[in-house]
Amino acid sequence: MEFLDLLMLGFSEALTPTNLGFCLLGALLGTLIGVLPGIGPTATIAVLLPITFYLPPLAGIIMLAGIYYGAQYGGSTTAILVNLPGEASSVVTAIDGYRMAQKGKAGSALAVAALGSFFAGTVATFGIAVAGPMLSSFALSFGPAEYVSLMIFGLLAATVLARGPVLKAIGMILFGLLFGMVGIDASSGEERLTFNAIELFDGIDFVVIAIGVFGFTEIIENLENVEGRGVLVSKLSRLWPTREDFRQAWPAVLRGTGVGTFLGILPGGGATLSSFCAYSLEKKVSRNPEEFGDGAVAGVAGPEAANNAGAQSSFIPLLTLGIPSNNMMAMMLSAFIIHGITPGPTVLQTQPEIFWGLVASMWVGNLMLVIINLPLIGIWVKLLTVPYRLLYPAILLFCCVGVYSINNRVFDVVLAAGFGFLGYLFRKAKCEPGPLLLGFVLGPLLETNLRRAMVLSHGSPSVFFERPISLALLLATVAMFILMVLPSFRRTREVAFQEEEA
Amino acid sequence: MADPRKAGSAGDRPDLLTAILFVGFGALGLWAGRDLTMGTAAAMGPGYLPRIVCWLLILVGLTVGGIGLFRAREDIALPQLRPISVILLSVVGFAFIANYFGFVVASVWLLVVGSLADRDSRWREVILLTAGLTVFGALVFIVGLGVQMPIWPF
Repeated sequence: MEFLDLLMLGFSEALTPTNLGFCLLGALLGTLIGVLPGIGPTATIAVLLPITFYLPPLAGIIMLAGIYYGAQYGGSTTAILVNLPGEASSVVTAIDGYRMAQKGKAGSALAVAALGSFFAGTVATFGIAVAGPMLSSFALSFGPAEYVSLMIFGLLAATVLARGPVLKAIGMILFGLLFGMVGIDASSGEERLTFNAIELFDGIDFVVIAIGVFGFTEIIENLENVEGRGVLVSKLSRLWPTREDFRQAWPAVLRGTGVGTFLGILPGGGATLSSFCAYSLEKKVSRNPEEFGDGAVAGVAGPEAANNAGAQSSFIPLLTLGIPSNNMMAMMLSAFIIHGITPGPTVLQTQPEIFWGLVASMWVGNLMLVIINLPLIGIWVKLLTVPYRLLYPAILLFCCVGVYSINNRVFDVVLAAGFGFLGYLFRKAKCEPGPLLLGFVLGPLLETNLRRAMVLSHGSPSVFFERPISLALLLATVAMFILMVLPSFRRTREVAFQEEEA
Repeated sequence: MADPRKAGSAGDRPDLLTAILFVGFGALGLWAGRDLTMGTAAAMGPGYLPRIVCWLLILVGLTVGGIGLFRAREDIALPQLRPISVILLSVVGFAFIANYFGFVVASVWLLVVGSLADRDSRWREVILLTAGLTVFGALVFIVGLGVQMPIWPF
């Protein structure tokens, strides 16, 4: 079977010593930043992006992917043990996980979380392997008009499904599009929006914006919020869950995996949304919903499985269509571009070892994570006692050197500091910076395809409505907007995100 | 921090700040791109999409601000000058020092000045951390990964 051959190709790539090593490094780093509150996977990947340039393409991408899903494991550890979610996606895990820990079932909660995540990761990996080739052969028939509609759909869906007010998110996307236009215009060769600064003729680098808005702003923000430092660790008990815990956990894991795999594919979806939806689903289907909030095993198993499945299946639109669905995937996209690879349907045919190697490495990485997280849990817990004042200078140095190394010039470092300030203003204005990155990476793609489509149609916008796939995507976009205006949907959306903001 | 919701005066301040940022950058973009050729829909010039995006940004900004004016009062979380000014100063300083004096001096500046951002910093820790990270950074980034930056000022 061809499918198995390709998967074998993937494993032979993923199991080379270099790739295995970087997979482990990514998983370790991911767990580390997942455990440490105050450093998120977005900032970490932004810092490491320029460094991947020095690695072989597959090794660099495997490492970054490992950081992303590794952070899901690490984040749940602290959520359960100290009620301190390391990542947004493990906020709901803290609700029941920490109660379990207080009742002396910390080990059981950790094991359920890790094993559930592993199961979900395995299923989602297979999901990518199956859906990838199908979707990408479909995407090969896409012309510029379809791509424009797909990107508009993706960008707007991302604002609806992400947290925060939709209008602000749309504004942030526009910001991203605008920053993406700085530099020399690809088709006319004219420089635009550069304020005559030669350094800007090549455009603003993605890493500059990412490190400014996520790296520097996060450090400043963390230094402002002094509360939440200093933690109490609850005692660890036996690690293996009881038979009763298992019985309650496995259906929740199955449902969580399903929810996560599906929601991860949607634009704007991913780990955080998946875990919130899985939690409310578990609460709805449970026979004794009053247990939730008081240490329900299903309340840990479902969301944990979902966030891991979601983290992984959000790679699907990136790898098959070349369209990132959230800001993490925008980072991954630029990691590919650093190596001159444009993800999308053609990569699967011209460089199958990249796609299948990455898919296989995700499974290998998940296996490593179970081992890293369960027996070595004590080490990670100790790390929690490292105070932030010792951590942030290191992050600061990595950020500065990282930005400098893209083009070896100080201009980028100063520009990143400027973006740090802008990011700070955005936080004060309560604007989520995620959509900005999405708009920034998609901007040039959107403009090129829009221009192409309009040249082909002699300036008539009807081309977007005449082609069936494009029309369907636009109709879906309109439908989403109508949904947003409906009061009942708005309420549900607000409820779905309220726990996160609390 | 001030009470986030005071009765009486209206206005969602974060939303108003959003409006200022959106409208301001939209206008800046329009001004910066004022000489760009517009072109037609069939043959878009370099100024076509930037103008559309800027106008949309202004429009969204005005809408957010307009709605924000009539919402219940919400204050902006009080900014603290120390972290933001110290961090930005240390980073910009790093950039210029690295250019003229090499990595070691720049890194020491960044870490020592950067540590002032946190009131909890202790001198002994800062000195040890600075020494350790500077050596680590020089070995890993410049020697190991080959980042193009001189290590020493001479």
